[in-house]
Amino acid sequence: MDNNKNKTVKNFIIKVEEVSKTFHTKGRKPVVALKQVTLQVEEGEVLVIIGPSGSGKSTLLRTLNGLETVDAGHIWIDNVDITRKETNLNQIRQKVGMVFQQFNLFEHKTALANLTLPQTAVLKTSSGKAEATAMALLNKVGLEGMERSYPSQLSGGQQQRVAIARSLVMKPQIMLFDEVTSALDPEAVRGILELMESLAHQGMTMVVVTHEMGFARRAGDRIIFMDGGEILEEGTPQIFFDNPQHPRAQFFLSQVL
Amino acid sequence: MSETILITAPLLMKGLWLTIKISMWTVALGSFLGFVIGLIRASRMKILKAALGVYIHCLRGTPFLVQLYLIYFVLPATGVEWLKFEAFPAAVIALSLYTSTYVSEIVRAGIEAVPKGQVEAARALGMSKWQTLGHVILPQALKLMIPPMTGVYVLIIKGTSVVSVIGITELLRAGEQAALRYPSELMTLYGLVALLYFVYCYPVLRLGRWAETKFGRIENSL
Ligand SMILES: Nc1ncnc2c1ncn2[C@@H]1O[C@H](COP(=O)(O)OP(=O)(O)O)[C@@H](O)[C@H]1O
Ligand SMILES: [Mg+2]
Repeated sequence: MDNNKNKTVKNFIIKVEEVSKTFHTKGRKPVVALKQVTLQVEEGEVLVIIGPSGSGKSTLLRTLNGLETVDAGHIWIDNVDITRKETNLNQIRQKVGMVFQQFNLFEHKTALANLTLPQTAVLKTSSGKAEATAMALLNKVGLEGMERSYPSQLSGGQQQRVAIARSLVMKPQIMLFDEVTSALDPEAVRGILELMESLAHQGMTMVVVTHEMGFARRAGDRIIFMDGGEILEEGTPQIFFDNPQHPRAQFFLSQVL
Repeated sequence: MSETILITAPLLMKGLWLTIKISMWTVALGSFLGFVIGLIRASRMKILKAALGVYIHCLRGTPFLVQLYLIYFVLPATGVEWLKFEAFPAAVIALSLYTSTYVSEIVRAGIEAVPKGQVEAARALGMSKWQTLGHVILPQALKLMIPPMTGVYVLIIKGTSVVSVIGITELLRAGEQAALRYPSELMTLYGLVALLYFVYCYPVLRLGRWAETKFGRIENSL
């Protein structure tokens, strides 16, 4: 009986169940960043999270690799509950790449060394092998000949390419993107979005927080709209963009489109 | 005049050598201790952090001379065998404890000056806390620490002159003794002592300058 049931259950690589999170800052009112958020992501799916600033998008994303702890609820990554104390987060994080708005490249290391460090330190790859992998990935993201440059010598778009390559070097199953084009000029934005779309086409599971509605429509399999720490609406890009139901989603779209 | 210099030179050189020895020991021990304290102060170990905050407060809030007397005169009076220090170790211990309070705050400021995003990126890649500290935080923080650290080292070198009060014939004391023997050459002898301090401190100061232009500076918490 159970076997039969399992066949119809989809393989969710990310499961978030009733996750809540409140930030307590000294001398300020507590901020409820997530209110009982529940969602699932299938393998190979591209989930796009949109919503106004302060709605909890980053917090949600950061709970997915344990950069942010949760107050209540559970999160499973590849069937491992990462909210349990016993879980080795460092192992989980190898499977979950993350790209940030501010790139966060290691400033004291060259583009190449940014890609070799996580391999030699975490995966214990030999430095020769790590370098070969790094060079191949740098070429793949369009940075041929830039391997000896330091982050400060690269443009924003180039830095973000290095950052994406640095995540990919760990061969993650999931990639998280937190407004990765928000600090870039329009030209660079296009390049990074293309890179992300090609990743999506290669079957990467992606959770993307973005204000790029064109990208969300083109590359997203599903859209989630958040406000006030809650998921207010969820649907395919077509349904969501053409016919938003929630008044706050309607208002948000009227502002950004 | 040159004759006096020649005659007193061995005495002054011995004093300089003692000053160098005391300051080197202090730089090593004080830096090590300060480094460990600074790491803890920048960590999330709440209780230990608070305790070390008190330690820093106490050492900074009292005159160095009092600390030196405590270690050299009061501790041996407790009768505990291993607390009976000779003058030299007593001087090094007192100076090292004092130095550690400055070094620890520099280390802490250096670590805290490394942007949080650097740590998050490292952790997000699966690097452990210690890997992050060793590969990402410290290499960036150390650069920021060098300029203020050289300032502390100069303070130590000059601070060694205070330990003459417990009978250590370091450079200043040696100068005093020389001046007692040749009172007419007082100016020359003290001038010479000042020159020797300067010769010792100058390279350290230059290093600090150089590091500041090369690596930038952090808010010095001295
Ligand atoms: N580390 C933190 N400390 C205190 N408050 C925080 C912290 N991180 C986020 N918040 C607050 O939580 C809410 C949600 O933030 P965030 O998830 O960053 O929103 P978004 O990414 O949608 O703009 C905001 O009100 C924000 O101020
Ligand atoms: Mg955000």
